Amino acid sequence: MPLLRAPGGGLVNVDLQPVGRRVQVAPGSTVLEAAQLAGVQLVAVCGGLGTCGTCRVRAVDGRLGEETEEERTWLDGSERAQGWRLACQTRVVGAVRLEIPPESLSTPQRLQTEGLSVDFELDPAVIAIDLALAPPSLEDLRADTRRLLEGLAAAGAPGTSVELRVAASSSDRLRDQHWQGRAAVRRRPDGTGDLVCIRPPKEPLLGLAVDTGTTKLAAYLVDLAGGHTLARAGAMNPQIVYGEDVVTRVTYANTSPDAARLLHERLVGEIDNLVGVLCAQAGARRDQIVDAVVVGNTVMHHFVTGLPVRQLGEAPYISAVSDAVVAGAAEIGLRLAGGAAVYLPPNIAAYVGSDHVAMLLATGLADTEETVLALDIGTNTEISLAHKGVIWSCSTASGPAFEGAHIHDGMRAAPGAIEHVRFRNGAFQVQTVEAQAPVGICGSGIVDAIAAALDAGIIDERGSLAKDHPLVSRSSGKPTCLLVPAARTGHGRDVVFTRSDVNEVQLAKGAIRAGTELLLQEAGLCASNLDRVVVAGAFGTYLDLQSAIRVGLLVDVDRHRYHQVGNAAGRGAEQLLLSRERRAVADRLAMRVRYVELTVNRSFTDVFAAALSFGTELGRAEERG
Amino acid sequence: MTVIDELRQAVVDGQLKPAVAKVEQGLAEGTEAGRLLTEGLIAAMAQVGQLYEEGEIFVPEMLVAARAMTAALGVLKPHLLEEGVEAAGTVAIGTVQGDLHDIGKNLVAMMLEGSGFEIMDLGVDVPAERFVQAIREGANVVAMSALLTTTMTNMREIIQAITDAGLRDQASIVIGGAPITKTYADEIGADGYATDASGAVRVVREVLAA
Repeated sequence: MPLLRAPGGGLVNVDLQPVGRRVQVAPGSTVLEAAQLAGVQLVAVCGGLGTCGTCRVRAVDGRLGEETEEERTWLDGSERAQGWRLACQTRVVGAVRLEIPPESLSTPQRLQTEGLSVDFELDPAVIAIDLALAPPSLEDLRADTRRLLEGLAAAGAPGTSVELRVAASSSDRLRDQHWQGRAAVRRRPDGTGDLVCIRPPKEPLLGLAVDTGTTKLAAYLVDLAGGHTLARAGAMNPQIVYGEDVVTRVTYANTSPDAARLLHERLVGEIDNLVGVLCAQAGARRDQIVDAVVVGNTVMHHFVTGLPVRQLGEAPYISAVSDAVVAGAAEIGLRLAGGAAVYLPPNIAAYVGSDHVAMLLATGLADTEETVLALDIGTNTEISLAHKGVIWSCSTASGPAFEGAHIHDGMRAAPGAIEHVRFRNGAFQVQTVEAQAPVGICGSGIVDAIAAALDAGIIDERGSLAKDHPLVSRSSGKPTCLLVPAARTGHGRDVVFTRSDVNEVQLAKGAIRAGTELLLQEAGLCASNLDRVVVAGAFGTYLDLQSAIRVGLLVDVDRHRYHQVGNAAGRGAEQLLLSRERRAVADRLAMRVRYVELTVNRSFTDVFAAALSFGTELGRAEERG
Repeated sequence: MTVIDELRQAVVDGQLKPAVAKVEQGLAEGTEAGRLLTEGLIAAMAQVGQLYEEGEIFVPEMLVAARAMTAALGVLKPHLLEEGVEAAGTVAIGTVQGDLHDIGKNLVAMMLEGSGFEIMDLGVDVPAERFVQAIREGANVVAMSALLTTTMTNMREIIQAITDAGLRDQASIVIGGAPITKTYADEIGADGYATDASGAVRVVREVLAA
């Protein structure tokens, strides 16, 4: 257990530089715990277990506790001699000033918020009813709510209910507005409705759409009557300091009810902050937001709604709730219009969430009769295949390699990250995010680098590096290929990729490709039957298709059949705000999908093993099968 | 090259069909099954393990080599039984309760099998009672895998169940999986821990020798 407050013991100062934050902790706390307490977001890919080596820090003044076995594993002799430590392992023993290098901070990153459009009829769940009510008089002593509900019935919204919190805010407002106003009414499927709030006459009603990713949050403010997106904003998921993947966060939540509540509050708090940012951008008020849709993977869905997550972390991996949820915004912790509700679409399985449902809606997979494959590539990759109106879905653990983790010089798509690589005239040419001097490689860059190296004969089918190639060296003991020499990088060190990096990519692309092949197998199809392939998500958008096909991550079909669609889940969430018909499709979709559990699929290991190769192994595996 | 050399090379290169063919050829030529095992398959897997530790090959190559070895061993096994070749030990291996990941566990099992151990593969999502039962059935090593931070905690409970059954001194316990560390292995009282399939073979040999 973290000792954040030692009984009767004194607290010591921990000074975090160059971010300039200070915090007091009990001796025995880890540096990671101290940083979390100070609100400094360190990269903790493994959630503080000491198995990823990403949270490097160094004491510049004062001293730290003894080195652990994990630190000796992840830091080499020269790094340890320079004083580098792992924040999750190192304990505070006295007052200390620490240096946190930029690569250990979860830095602000480029956030992906654009998407695509699909046609649908504008028919939002919440509509405006304009009212002009007769003021009360000695001849008309009806109570305010009675007057209001009868006015709504006369204006075309019979059977509307008003809950106490909404009634409480309506009386003064109706008088202030001289009995004129715009009522926001949330329509129920049975034709009745609920009053959300009373707004000034003619004021536009707005909706909030949120895509809650494990790493990033994207939020959109939408004009419900016109269907336009008025503002977009993105933020890092603040839960990231408690672990980068969903499983480590479930593990953290399992430690105590307080920990689970903390994860819920941090996440909802950040979404609520984004609402403020959106309103400032659009010059709107929170009370104008009369409806909200939140999509996310199943673990994020459970954290947002405050549902228990323990059962998601252990086989057979069960969702507490899989049907669509409509919950009060205030109940969840979002400050919107008084009676606003949040709609969360259904999830398909513990590892295929409502974000995937939203993506299937936005990309038209839910409605198509065509044969379409759709992939949302991330730490977990969700894949769906639609064929003659049937949809098969699976989730595959592709790992964090495409987010830059577990890669020697890996980083997220921040300035200076190599995002594209070509091999020309015996040398690598690189393109970086914001054209800054290269300091590392992000996901699309590593896929490009490997594809280029395969074509240049630097990597063979099995992933081994050619020993005799001039760019390949073993000077550090492990086979390494030089991408950008120190003289041209932003930090004065070579940017390289290693045999081990190639292996990480093999494991990731093998998992994604095996998932794809098994879905095709379930449907009795092969890749050439695909009319379209949709690639969603930020990584998928910046990914070079030719490179992805070259390394075997994606199936080799004509490039014109590919559609890279960006954040389709966010677009799907917007559609769910704007169309009751889309909600009905979403509600049915989760029931229609045939979920394929890969871990118990008997041919998964064989297909996966074949998919690891850069050669034609996969073709041969199909012949064998 | 002798047929044994060719068998060894086929396994190291991960060539499944040639590896099987070489076992069949060796048997047809009258080579002892025990020699095909020790000088062919076991030697090949030792070489694969060494190449892995030197950073020359990685999991993908190791996996294809192990699959070739397993196929070859399948052909060889009835002949080994006929000759009465003894296993180096019996390892009960499984992914712990709550966890369905089996690729790493299967690789460890194949590497151990290719190193001359008898394998009782308990599969995935294995409850404590099944490990306890395996020791009663003669396993002298229990190998547990967990890939999730949510399920690794079940290892502690399984060790406790083995202790409660009074069987803790009848079997050595080794653990592994992505979230596992040496510190965790020590903390829950496991006898050994390995970061990869090659290390697992070494650790199993060590705990049996101790």
